[in-house]
Amino acid sequence: MALTTIDHSALKVNQTGIVATVLVAFIGSYFFRPLLVLIPLLAVVLLLGTFAPQLALFKQLYFKVLKPRGIVKPRPVQDRPEPHNFAQGLGGVFLVVSSLFLLPLPVVGLAIALLVAVLAFINLAFGYCVGCQIYYQLGRAGLIKA
Amino acid sequence: MSSQLWALAAAGSVVLAAAGLELWRSAAARRHALEAKSGPAVEPYIIYFTGEGCTVCRTHQEPALARLHDVRIDKVDALADRGLADRFHVYTLPTTVVMSSEGRALHVNYGYAPANKLERQLAEARRESDMKETATA
Repeated sequence: MALTTIDHSALKVNQTGIVATVLVAFIGSYFFRPLLVLIPLLAVVLLLGTFAPQLALFKQLYFKVLKPRGIVKPRPVQDRPEPHNFAQGLGGVFLVVSSLFLLPLPVVGLAIALLVAVLAFINLAFGYCVGCQIYYQLGRAGLIKA
Repeated sequence: MSSQLWALAAAGSVVLAAAGLELWRSAAARRHALEAKSGPAVEPYIIYFTGEGCTVCRTHQEPALARLHDVRIDKVDALADRGLADRFHVYTLPTTVVMSSEGRALHVNYGYAPANKLERQLAEARRESDMKETATA
């Protein structure tokens, strides 16, 4: 599969959005429980963005607002979009599972959401994408065409 | 204790367990990889395992390798050359292997290895190579 130019600032904004939303839901729900709804909403945003990039809320925020106003500078890198999309989709799936647990077992639901935020933070801060590594492992095992 | 605190404890435990598992896994892979051999060369060299889908390779590892001087770097696509990747137990990308001039793996770095770390490992490999040459002479 061919390399293409990917703006890594868009990915960073996406990761920041994930971390911020989970943290607001996590801390905010301690004081105002309905804020937990942010977690299923984030799951929807991530899954929509995986299959239709024009619907990726945080990336669109970057392309439509942050980049044109010079708030975040672009960082184009020759890369493949598939591992990043896979990682985002995986995050979305985990948040769906988290959402299913939020009402019957809030501890489990919140813990899974926190793990998604931790992984997004690791990617944001250290550039280590766990989802991309899983994508590589699946490709190596021949389960996907990596 | 509230749900939030229990969730924090649970997520923290999972992160710690994952970190521990990763340490154990990389130590086990490194132990096996250090027994692997490749072709001999005049000087110590580096085998650099990468792949098209590896972003860290392009954004971090390649600039670090570019900072190294006078060293042969064999770039290997880990998915295309699975035989070699399996020989060095490559389970993550990037992976860099510092080889002695006799073709023995001296240092295996799973994940991003900064330039200063590679320089240090190469210096060690060169010292070892020089000592062997002196002993032979």
